[in-house]
Amino acid sequence: MYDVIIIGKGPAGISAALYTHRANLKTLVVGRNNSSVIKAHSVDNYYGVPKISGADLIQTGINQAKDLGIEIVDEEVISMGMEESFIVLTKNNKFEAKTVLMATGQPYKKINIENVDNLEGKGISYCTTCDGFFYKGLKVGVLGYNDFTIHEANELTAFTKDIVIFTNGRKLELSETYENDIKNFEVVEDEIIKFDGNEFLDSVVFKNGKSEKINGMFIAYGSASSTDFARKLGILTNDDQKSIKVDQNYMTSLEGVFAAGDCIGGFNQISTAVGEGAIAAKSIIKFAREN
Amino acid sequence: MTIKVYSTPTCPYCVNAKEYFNSKELSYEDYDVSADREKAREMIEKSGQRGVPVIDIDGNIIVGFDKLKIDTLISK
Repeated sequence: MYDVIIIGKGPAGISAALYTHRANLKTLVVGRNNSSVIKAHSVDNYYGVPKISGADLIQTGINQAKDLGIEIVDEEVISMGMEESFIVLTKNNKFEAKTVLMATGQPYKKINIENVDNLEGKGISYCTTCDGFFYKGLKVGVLGYNDFTIHEANELTAFTKDIVIFTNGRKLELSETYENDIKNFEVVEDEIIKFDGNEFLDSVVFKNGKSEKINGMFIAYGSASSTDFARKLGILTNDDQKSIKVDQNYMTSLEGVFAAGDCIGGFNQISTAVGEGAIAAKSIIKFAREN
Repeated sequence: MTIKVYSTPTCPYCVNAKEYFNSKELSYEDYDVSADREKAREMIEKSGQRGVPVIDIDGNIIVGFDKLKIDTLISK
């Protein structure tokens, strides 16, 4: 059992870890190396560092944390849950913690398929936990290509066995753990151009001109984001529904879960992410000591 | 004021919504649409949605746990 699990090893996550670890909280940082900072060819507006590539800055932060003895697991987080404590699931591990900091970066992935917004709640859903039962015994799709997708498809098997994985032109990228599960599902790799339906989703239209009837489609495309985790736990988002709502202590609407960095919206800069990570860590330390 | 909450037991936002009404000491009727097919049909007809929670406050339909809209309607 960890005192805190930090999801994400970008500026907000590592900054927080430096503080929680030094405050003697048992700290785990977990996530893939996919901070948006890595894409920055050159960072030249960060205090004290005249010029550095985004990739080098991120790696320097990770090395700094490792040198201090902070435990870092390089695995993608595919789901979060809550039992007696908070649960963080990766492809190979189930971690437990008293508190969680979501520092997952850019919170919202836009799927560029016609009608994806128009049919949301009308067949298109982002939450198997919330909406799965509406498709009891019906044919449903899960849009995605990786472990997160298969995890969501597995959750839907409680409601229906008629599940199709739509990879939208991508090849499946599964770890060994989830490769065994894929045999339970039909897989369609054709690229999708449109979701069709008037009142409710009726079919998926492919770029090759074909189409397939479907009753529901769950989106689990790419890496699970902070908003995906929020839906699992009932954590409130800001009015834009794309970023996580936090209070002045960076605690979300769920006691014990904190968020910092780009996933809470605002001024998405390395400097603000580092600062938010530090303040969130201070709140986590206080919370952990009081609970 | 009549409040109806269409919910499922596994939906975290449904729990949020009901806790919110409890905190405001407002009574509500709770329909578990995963068990009550008739109420599930009623919910879809009212909201045009296959997602929970759906909240009906005096005939005004709110999709999701939208605290701002709830506050507006309960303060009338």
